[in-house]
Amino acid sequence: MSSPGLQGLRPWIIQRVSAVYIALYIIYFSLLLFIDNPVTAQDWALWAAIPYNNIALGLFLIAVLWHAWIGVRDIVLDYVPNVVSRLVVLTIVGCTILGSGLWGFKALFMVAIK
Amino acid sequence: MAVSDNRPFFLNLFKIRLPVTGFVSIFHRISGLLMFLAIPFSIFLFDISLQGESGFNQAAGILQHPFIQLISLVLLWSIVHHLLAGIRFLFTDFDIGLEKRQATLFAWLVFAIEAILFVLLAMRIFL
Repeated sequence: MSSPGLQGLRPWIIQRVSAVYIALYIIYFSLLLFIDNPVTAQDWALWAAIPYNNIALGLFLIAVLWHAWIGVRDIVLDYVPNVVSRLVVLTIVGCTILGSGLWGFKALFMVAIK
Repeated sequence: MAVSDNRPFFLNLFKIRLPVTGFVSIFHRISGLLMFLAIPFSIFLFDISLQGESGFNQAAGILQHPFIQLISLVLLWSIVHHLLAGIRFLFTDFDIGLEKRQATLFAWLVFAIEAILFVLLAMRIFL
């Protein structure tokens, strides 16, 4: 950010844009489950392999993880005053987020190429 | 600005009495943190559920476990509260419902819709 007055505006916007996508996708997905439940293993994998659904799930994964990162980071900054503990906690949180993302994308990729 | 010396300063969290709007807020944080903690295990379940019949059944079996069902209920509440409180905060971003009486009404509305939605979804999922 070039202007000091704009610091924190980017995460603020990302938090809200991701929130809207997450909310809409959860409502859409819940409605799907209400209509077609229970599903079989094959139905579920075939559904997730459809490019449209696969990409939407991937976007959902990014939105959730980014949203979670900003939210948890805010909580840590509020309640962990010590700089070193902050760094340690944020590193653990960041690794958890990145690891989960890689794992999720692996799952989405594997089901797409099957 | 003059500051009086006998302002209450509570370090004991249990002595702080929050207004209803404050509960919407703090539960938004708590529910968000709970869902963050559930991410790795949820991705694990998502991953194995997509790996054919055996993985799918394994994931279904894990979700049938009483302890996991209890956690699922807590996470269901987390999603419902986080979503509704989040919508309320988006209104706040547009300066809607900032006046005290309106803010209180919004907060009660969040809890009312939350209770109904939680019971309906819990019944649909667990019964």
